[in-house]
Amino acid sequence: MKTFIIITTFLVSTMLTAQTQYETGMQKALSLWGEGKATEATALFERIASAEKSNWLPNYYIGMVNTTEAFNPKNKDKVASLIEKAQDAIDQASVISPNNAEIMVLQAMLYTAILVQDPMTNGMKYSGLAMEQYYKAQAIAPNNPRVMFCKAEFEIGGAKWSGADTKPMCAQIAKSIELFATFKTDTPFAPNWGLDRAQEALKGCK
Amino acid sequence: MFVLDAILSHQNTTSMKTFYNLVLFFISVTALAQNEISGTVLDEKSKPITGANIYIDGSYDGASSDENGKFSFTTTTTGNQTLVISFITYENISVSIDVTNAKNKTYKMRESVNTLDAVIVTAGTFDAGEKARVSVLKPLDIVTTAGAMGDIVSALQTLPGTNTVGEDGRLFVRGGEADETQTFVDGIRVAQPYGATTANVPTRGRFSPFLFSGMSFSTGGYSAEYGEALSSVLLLNTQDEMVEEKTDISLMTVGLGLANTQKWGKNSISFNTAYINLEPYQKLIPQNADWNKPYQSLSGEAVYRYNFENGLFKLYAAFDAAQFDINQESINSANKTRIDLNNNNFYLNASYKANWSNQWQFFTGLSYGFGQNKIGINVDDAQNDEHSSHMKLRLKKSFSDRVKLTFGADYFITKFDESFKENLGDTFAIGYNANIVAAYAETDIFFSKNFAMKLGARLSNNDLLNETVLSPRVSMAYKVSKNGQFSLAYGSFTQAPRQEYLKYADYLSSEKASHYILNYQYNKDRRTFRAEAYFKDYADLVKFDTDSPQFNSNYFNTGEGYAKGLDIFWRDNKSIKNLEYWVSYSYIDTQRDYRNFPTEVTPNFVAKHSLSVVSKWWINKLKSQLSITNSFSTGRPFNNPNEANFMAGRTKGYNNLSLGWSYLLTQQKILYFSATNVLATQNVFGYEYSNTVNANGTFDRREIRPTADQFFFVGFFWTISDNMKDNQLNNL
Repeated sequence: MKTFIIITTFLVSTMLTAQTQYETGMQKALSLWGEGKATEATALFERIASAEKSNWLPNYYIGMVNTTEAFNPKNKDKVASLIEKAQDAIDQASVISPNNAEIMVLQAMLYTAILVQDPMTNGMKYSGLAMEQYYKAQAIAPNNPRVMFCKAEFEIGGAKWSGADTKPMCAQIAKSIELFATFKTDTPFAPNWGLDRAQEALKGCK
Repeated sequence: MFVLDAILSHQNTTSMKTFYNLVLFFISVTALAQNEISGTVLDEKSKPITGANIYIDGSYDGASSDENGKFSFTTTTTGNQTLVISFITYENISVSIDVTNAKNKTYKMRESVNTLDAVIVTAGTFDAGEKARVSVLKPLDIVTTAGAMGDIVSALQTLPGTNTVGEDGRLFVRGGEADETQTFVDGIRVAQPYGATTANVPTRGRFSPFLFSGMSFSTGGYSAEYGEALSSVLLLNTQDEMVEEKTDISLMTVGLGLANTQKWGKNSISFNTAYINLEPYQKLIPQNADWNKPYQSLSGEAVYRYNFENGLFKLYAAFDAAQFDINQESINSANKTRIDLNNNNFYLNASYKANWSNQWQFFTGLSYGFGQNKIGINVDDAQNDEHSSHMKLRLKKSFSDRVKLTFGADYFITKFDESFKENLGDTFAIGYNANIVAAYAETDIFFSKNFAMKLGARLSNNDLLNETVLSPRVSMAYKVSKNGQFSLAYGSFTQAPRQEYLKYADYLSSEKASHYILNYQYNKDRRTFRAEAYFKDYADLVKFDTDSPQFNSNYFNTGEGYAKGLDIFWRDNKSIKNLEYWVSYSYIDTQRDYRNFPTEVTPNFVAKHSLSVVSKWWINKLKSQLSITNSFSTGRPFNNPNEANFMAGRTKGYNNLSLGWSYLLTQQKILYFSATNVLATQNVFGYEYSNTVNANGTFDRREIRPTADQFFFVGFFWTISDNMKDNQLNNL
């Protein structure tokens, strides 16, 4: 009996430890990213991904951190490596979690990052690829606020160039803000960003 | 141990004894399992790497290296584990370690050769498309270059190393004849890459830029994968994936075009058709040539793709039927010669590419081409049929990021038949069958991020000529500064003699050329400079002993020649906002003794100096792109029988200023105007001399001029797709 308790306790505790390690790890990594320490955050997410091989979130964040970094003009010299790193992580995340609208939004953002490196060369191809991801994501999760907002924001970017009317996109952004209010994540650390950016973008509409 | 406390605090029923047992158990487990992993991460020059991520795969245990490259962490894992070290722009390290014995180890990371700033072997090659790391031309350029008129070949003529030969229209590269360039679609040879034509009427490439996403144009020193080309290869790649379904409609002053893409499941199909009729245009613009029936053609191309789990199947088919009827002037006859040409061309190309496990890549492909010309020459009839096929197999193995091996085999079949029927007279028929089998192997080695090499050889056997040739190829590149690099290339190239000799003389052997190339390239932030010096040595060129190659001529492989020169290219997409421009300059010194030349001279298709300036200016306010191209070259040689020296005459220089204007009516509707030779320069390509002397004892001559001095074009291009951003800007 004693041994049974010990073993059970041990198992429970290791499981709990693992859970906690994941949580502390994710919290730490997210706060490192919040402090602007992208390399350190990526390193930690990588370690978490290596331990949590069936969880798509660590890879999602590796993709997110490196995509965001690729947009930063300071990283011009290593932008190709950042894009490659983000793409690898997105690929792995979508193997773990196929047909995930959040990952599709991230993939579209990465395509946008590639596009802005040289719009004259990449514009046509990558705007098509990004839109394809948004359409797919929209079909899977029509009420996901990030899908709605990011798609509209991307379309506004294109409209600036072509002079098309941005009113319908602005309406979509406004609608996404309503969706943000009711959006609930199903797991801890699941993507829940975008409301502030949507509010900011809506200001630009007026 | 906080966790343990927490758990224990919830378990009030647990006796003290159990508690101690538990604690002891845990301490012992921890004591057993806590191992320190430590070490230093260095780069290739033994300098510390800060911020590298070191961890045990499958665990949370890990750390980042400090400013001295040092790291240390403890792990609860046991036994043999995989230690992973990663750092951006460096190759990942994955080593097997024993956790009890992994203290104070040194790990050396190598810079990734997959980065943008790694050295790249560039000698001889211009790449375009998204796969190319250093892209000199963009796919868009082919089409937005003023004067190119959507012709891939015309756009390439703005690159250094090419000679514009206005009365011919094909690619002439570094002192080589046009047929010294071979064209490949998806790696498979296209035997008839140009539309049919007759003397002094320029042709165009058969391929519309619509279906191609990338291309590579090599002016020398190319890979062992490609053979049967003395001077140059042009590699065109069809699009691997179609992003979306769409329809493109083109209404032009010269004809109509329709293109459509469909996607379903893992399949997609794109087709492109065009009907061209130059009649209205020729009625409007004064013509130098005397047309009975202007050029008209109906053409169609289609690509079908099927995506497998790890592979891609592509089927490309192109058909075109063209005809025209012209009265050709000749100084040697009072009456014009009527040429009535009907050309049918069909090309099919199927390929399959797969990525196998263990970094193997497999490619196989097959092409079949059928070209038929029916030519009425006054009252006589000539017909020729060419069937050609290329089968190809290629395997590529990546041993690492740094070492890659490619090997494969080619099989070319050519069957050529020609007949000539005199009106109410005899029929003469002639033809040949040639089979060429070849094998090649090539290895790509990166010694470091700054030094790379390509080493290969090609062995080929031609059964008609009964010969076997081995052609070695070497190229290497060395990076001398952050943005500059040198490349060197050497290669030996062979090509079977052209049809017009081979049909009479299968006893000939292949013509040969050796290329030596030194290239410097500087590439920084959307600005590219490159300079390339080359020397090309020709041997075994075909000679004959009559005025033109005939069935009763004697043919020899005794010709020879050389070409040497300097090609300069500068492209700047940065200095001025919304303006992209490039400048190409070529200097060439070449002489050859071939055909029926009495001595070694510069042939008539070569201009010593050529300069092209191409610019594209996006004007946001007008929603327009304005493109201007100016091509200039110095005079070309011609033979003047009134002079003692052979081929000693020089025409005046050639100049062509072309304009293009694309205007975005809406995002998906484009209006396009273009005009060539806006200055109406009276260009002369050469002279045709009389065979006999006139009353004054001199030979009369006739100018060879363009069929029309200028070309005007208006088109309306409309794209219909779900994604409202797409348009046909890249097809103009």
